[in-house]
Amino acid sequence: MDPTLLFIAGGAAAIGFYMAWSIGANDVANSMATAVGAKAITFKQAVLIAGILNFAGAILLGPHVAGTIKGGIVKGSMIADPHTLLLGFVASLLAAALWVTLSTWRELPISTTHSVVGALIGFGIIAGGVSSIDWSVMGKVASSWVLSPVVGCIIAFFVFKVIVKTIFAKDKPVKAAKIVGPLAIGVTAFLIVSSLFLKTKLSEMSGVSDLPQVLLISTVISAIACIIALFLLRNIEAKSVEDYITVEGIFRKLQIVTSCYVAFSHGANDVANAIAPVAAIIPLANGEMSLTAGIPTELLALGGIGIAFGCLTWGRRVMKTVGGRITNLTNTRGFSVDFAAATTVLVASKLGLPISTSHTVVGAVIGVGLARGLEAIDLSVIKKIVVSWLLTVPIAAATSAVIFICLRAIVG
Amino acid sequence: MENKRNHFRAPVADTFRRKSPFGQLLDHMEKVRECIDILGDGLTSYYKGDYKGFSELAENVSKIEHEADLIKRNLRNHLPSSLFMPVDKGKFLWALREQDAILDHAENLAKMLDMRHTKIPKKLQDVFIEHAKLVMKTVEAMQDAVGNIRDLIETSFVKREREQTKQFIYKVHEYEWKADQKKLEVTKGIYKLEKKLDPMDVYHLLKIADWVDDIADHAENVADWLRAMIAK
Repeated sequence: MDPTLLFIAGGAAAIGFYMAWSIGANDVANSMATAVGAKAITFKQAVLIAGILNFAGAILLGPHVAGTIKGGIVKGSMIADPHTLLLGFVASLLAAALWVTLSTWRELPISTTHSVVGALIGFGIIAGGVSSIDWSVMGKVASSWVLSPVVGCIIAFFVFKVIVKTIFAKDKPVKAAKIVGPLAIGVTAFLIVSSLFLKTKLSEMSGVSDLPQVLLISTVISAIACIIALFLLRNIEAKSVEDYITVEGIFRKLQIVTSCYVAFSHGANDVANAIAPVAAIIPLANGEMSLTAGIPTELLALGGIGIAFGCLTWGRRVMKTVGGRITNLTNTRGFSVDFAAATTVLVASKLGLPISTSHTVVGAVIGVGLARGLEAIDLSVIKKIVVSWLLTVPIAAATSAVIFICLRAIVG
Repeated sequence: MENKRNHFRAPVADTFRRKSPFGQLLDHMEKVRECIDILGDGLTSYYKGDYKGFSELAENVSKIEHEADLIKRNLRNHLPSSLFMPVDKGKFLWALREQDAILDHAENLAKMLDMRHTKIPKKLQDVFIEHAKLVMKTVEAMQDAVGNIRDLIETSFVKREREQTKQFIYKVHEYEWKADQKKLEVTKGIYKLEKKLDPMDVYHLLKIADWVDDIADHAENVADWLRAMIAK
């Protein structure tokens, strides 16, 4: 391999790793903070869970979203020259990394996902004109950005309402929680397991692929999870009718599971932001034209490690600060937020839609608030997020376009 | 928000307020409790003609009132329109205002009593003390009602907790009504003795009865706003 191209591939991998680090440090910590703030897990546990399960999510479910970012937004066929494509992906990776760094420094509620997608659009338009962007995919992606927080909000609203109706409104809340809690764990297990076996590497390896089989496996595993949870909670007794502390205590245990769920879904969706451009650059640097080819597992692993590393280093600080700020989020609320956000992100990941986990978590928190579950929520955050939707893509696109033009001028 | 930046993106943190408004309302209520406790004891001694240490007590009440004022101001100044609460913000602020009025009245009462040591006629001492006790009981009942906010929020206002809060509120009304009856008795007693008493004393005795009774009225108002807050 040409040393220059080797340098490009290595550099891209390094920047991709940096992006993964930034995602781990900010977005993961942001989504795990609800569990830390609700005191379901400690910082150390959060870092550990986030590291391991993001890695697992990235490897097992990462390819869907990564495929969209790598090959779905910019139509490779419209830009025939592999050299131009290579420069373009390098430019967008640089632009996204730059913009993510800047937004982190200024504490803007900006999503890595939006930056990456915006950057790709920027270079696509410059390199191949407006028609080189697959606007139907882009339309889907853009609508998923608006929809994901809304869906997170709606799910959280209903999950919390269900908790109120089936537990708090009952004559014996603790007794009700001992039954509803394990059922909730069963549902969570069902969603995770079925997502694992539907169109993934794991399903190829195990040979389980048709729907009835997947449903059967998922049902069995979720039933087992449900029974284990019932067994573990069997000795908890209420001290009085109004023993809400014990109810929260049960959900504290359940939240350990949902925070794993969050980390797993997060890895599945966000690893793509970091490694999809890298996955496009490396084969291009080798002179191959393979935008539609799959994402190599080694790269997903690199992204997973980067995210885990980000959690371990900077994420601790983020979780501590954010967790300290959201102390009035109790475990039943935290559970609702986690479940809603993780489910939304997981479904989006399966559909190959790159969405913002942070925005979905905010949506879920607002959902619980609207269900009269929180003492006070500041809705001004919605404005900030909408502004970030409107600004991130054009700015990232412009940055990427400028970098692309500069690179083309230098390299020729 | 502080100006110090932490250099990370965490929009979820912006969703939460640093301090819980209900927590602050309960903090404010703690001040009311503290104040009413010392004032209740002080009034009994005062009515019995023991003015020793009453100046310090008035100072103390004033100090507590000031501390509560800071909590109230902080709470009121930091409820932006973008803040969404599970109860009506207007009703919440009215409850806070009435709760604060209890302290204002307690402070004025203590200061006025300290300014002029009005001797309570022997015949009226008992009924005065009973009246004060009923007023303090009204405030205590109100504190129970407000204290139940914690459970209301935890359960997202389920029926059981709303009913329980209503029970507490009925208690407030009951004591307030009893205090009113007792106050009529006090007033009647004062008028009966008007010929024997110095007019200035009559004026002050009536005033004292009024001002002590005002405390119960405001406690009842807090309970009413709480009732409105939890109404479906």
